[in-house]
Amino acid sequence: MSNDVVVSARNMTKRFGNTLVFKDVSLDVHKSEVVAIVGPSGAGKSTFIRCINRLHPFDEGTLELLGHRLTGGKAKVPRAVLQDIHTRVGMVFQTFNLFPHLTVIENIMLAPMEVKKMPRAEARERAMALLEMVGLPHKRDIYPKRLSGGEQQRVAICRALAMEPEIMLFDEPTSMLDPELVGEVLGAIQRLAREGMTMLLVTHEMAFAKEVADTVVIMADHEIAEMGPACEVLESPKTERAQQFLSRVLKPEQAADDFVAARTASQGGDR
Amino acid sequence: MHTMLQQWALYLPDYLKGVGMTLELTGAALLVALVFGFILALARLSKIRVLDWAATGYVEIIRAIPVLILLFICYYSLAQAGLKLSGPVAAIVGLGGFYAALYGEIFRGAILGVDRGQREAAEALGMPRSVAMRKVILPQAFFAILPPATNQLSNLIKDTSLVFTIAVADIMFQANSALSQNFLPLDMLLLAGVIYFLFYLILSKFLARWELNVQRRRS
Amino acid sequence: MHVALHYLGVYGVGALKDIALTIVSTILSIILGVLAAAGRLYGPKALQIAIAWYVEIIRGLPAILQLFIIYFGFDQIGIHFSPLMAALIWLVAYGVGYAVEIFRAGLMDVAQGQREASAALGLSPSTTMRKIVFPQALVAMLPPLTSFVVLQLKNTTLLYLVGFADVMYEARLGVDATNQAGPLYVMAAVVYLIISLVIGRIGMRMERRAAAYR
Repeated sequence: MSNDVVVSARNMTKRFGNTLVFKDVSLDVHKSEVVAIVGPSGAGKSTFIRCINRLHPFDEGTLELLGHRLTGGKAKVPRAVLQDIHTRVGMVFQTFNLFPHLTVIENIMLAPMEVKKMPRAEARERAMALLEMVGLPHKRDIYPKRLSGGEQQRVAICRALAMEPEIMLFDEPTSMLDPELVGEVLGAIQRLAREGMTMLLVTHEMAFAKEVADTVVIMADHEIAEMGPACEVLESPKTERAQQFLSRVLKPEQAADDFVAARTASQGGDR
Repeated sequence: MHTMLQQWALYLPDYLKGVGMTLELTGAALLVALVFGFILALARLSKIRVLDWAATGYVEIIRAIPVLILLFICYYSLAQAGLKLSGPVAAIVGLGGFYAALYGEIFRGAILGVDRGQREAAEALGMPRSVAMRKVILPQAFFAILPPATNQLSNLIKDTSLVFTIAVADIMFQANSALSQNFLPLDMLLLAGVIYFLFYLILSKFLARWELNVQRRRS
Repeated sequence: MHVALHYLGVYGVGALKDIALTIVSTILSIILGVLAAAGRLYGPKALQIAIAWYVEIIRGLPAILQLFIIYFGFDQIGIHFSPLMAALIWLVAYGVGYAVEIFRAGLMDVAQGQREASAALGLSPSTTMRKIVFPQALVAMLPPLTSFVVLQLKNTTLLYLVGFADVMYEARLGVDATNQAGPLYVMAAVVYLIISLVIGRIGMRMERRAAAYR
């Protein structure tokens, strides 16, 4: 792993109105590092990675990425900076968000042609190469509605990669998929990781996080509960909050027992 | 400005009579439209082909004909054919018949919009179709009906303004008779506008708020 | 029955006038409606409020009252329009009120995720509007636009009341002359029915073509 830091968050805090989404998040991502963010729903994971490419503004703290320095608060980010970030950071959404009125290959060609002014023939060639990589070249002229969820998400990954991003953000890329389709999407992500792509990944797939990620961040109750090398954090968490979360996702039967116990206790246990 | 208000005050009693007529017509036509519309919806959803076709044909044809012509047909054409309706009755038949087609579509859409799973669940519990309709489907459809139904009611009130052409003394009729007396068409039409706009505001703002409250309480 | 046949010719001419007026007013309403919708969504606050109230007034007042205010009402303050002029002004004024809402609803109908995905790819707001939002909004707008054209066509029935010589006008004249209210009004209804159905058919075909991806 090289040592140059490409994303550096310092004490980032985000609120929607009066509702706290996350607070005091500090995190460094190095080049070619894969960071997986896990944690219970509502912990602010998704919003955090949306703040990294400035789809959402944040309220406090600073964020340095790709040579830009952004500060929290109302101050507007210059258009050129925003444009540069969006061009160099790719994003894959939970709900795919493919453009329904464009075919698969048009979805992938659009941004290179519009933003980078790439000639059509070249954009087409590169799009085909990407589709080959994810095993979908035969679907190029089909509209997204006709694809399965797993295929849509693989196309969405191609669409982001077509801009040759330096960092990829994945926002729960498999949580809308049927279980049997999860594998094909994770496979594509794993391949990217092997090729040295810098990635931030919000996921619920613990086994996958352990296998692919260099670093795992556990977010709970709007802040980072624990962070460190993947195996260490996932196998022997140190903080109580992280242990609690992991015992719930890794041992569901234990969680069920806890639930029953808690209910019995709350009903007074006098039966 | 001063003279306009004076004229308004002078003719206000006539206008209020017109308001009474407009509201009565709206109420009666709405009743016709709701009842007939519900029958049309059931016919279109029925498994009996002929009923479905007849209702579909009625809805498609009536919706494509301007309300004014329907009023003329109910008032003048039927009279020539020997069925003489008074102005208000012709208005109620014409408006009721037209809005029945629109309400029928609202009902049908709402009934179809209730989740299929609900129908299947009712069936799985062994409920007969009619019971499932009454106890499961309609209560859920009701809340999908409210917003478009209110919207159409506000259109119905506006369309009652056409009945002056068949000699029914509604608000618009009073405005026309007033302006032919004092030759102040702008002033007299504006008064009618204020009244209609009040109706519209009441329907669109207050009812919309009430609907929102109902919906919020349910979710 | 043959009495009605004498009127086929004048009905035809009247119908052509109604169709022409419908087309012209629809085109003008759509152009002005797009501008007004843009102002309503992205303009300065005062403009947004002004357009919102304009829409409310057009939607809140009966059609016939609006037409009478333009033709008879403006006469009181010294502004006189010919029947054709009054008809056109009213149809466009009325049409804009409805078109604004159709465009606004269409633009808002496009999922937020589409804008996010577009922004995340580095597409500029104007490219996003041109390539992503508008093409999708158009598909959502086609059905209400079709109803809108039919509504405008039906609105032309009111124009005889200000002396515009269309189908209804000829029907009234005919009834006055022959006392044949039955066939003459039913025939007028059929004329409108046919034109409405044709508009509906055209709209449906456009929808099917535009929505191929759905």
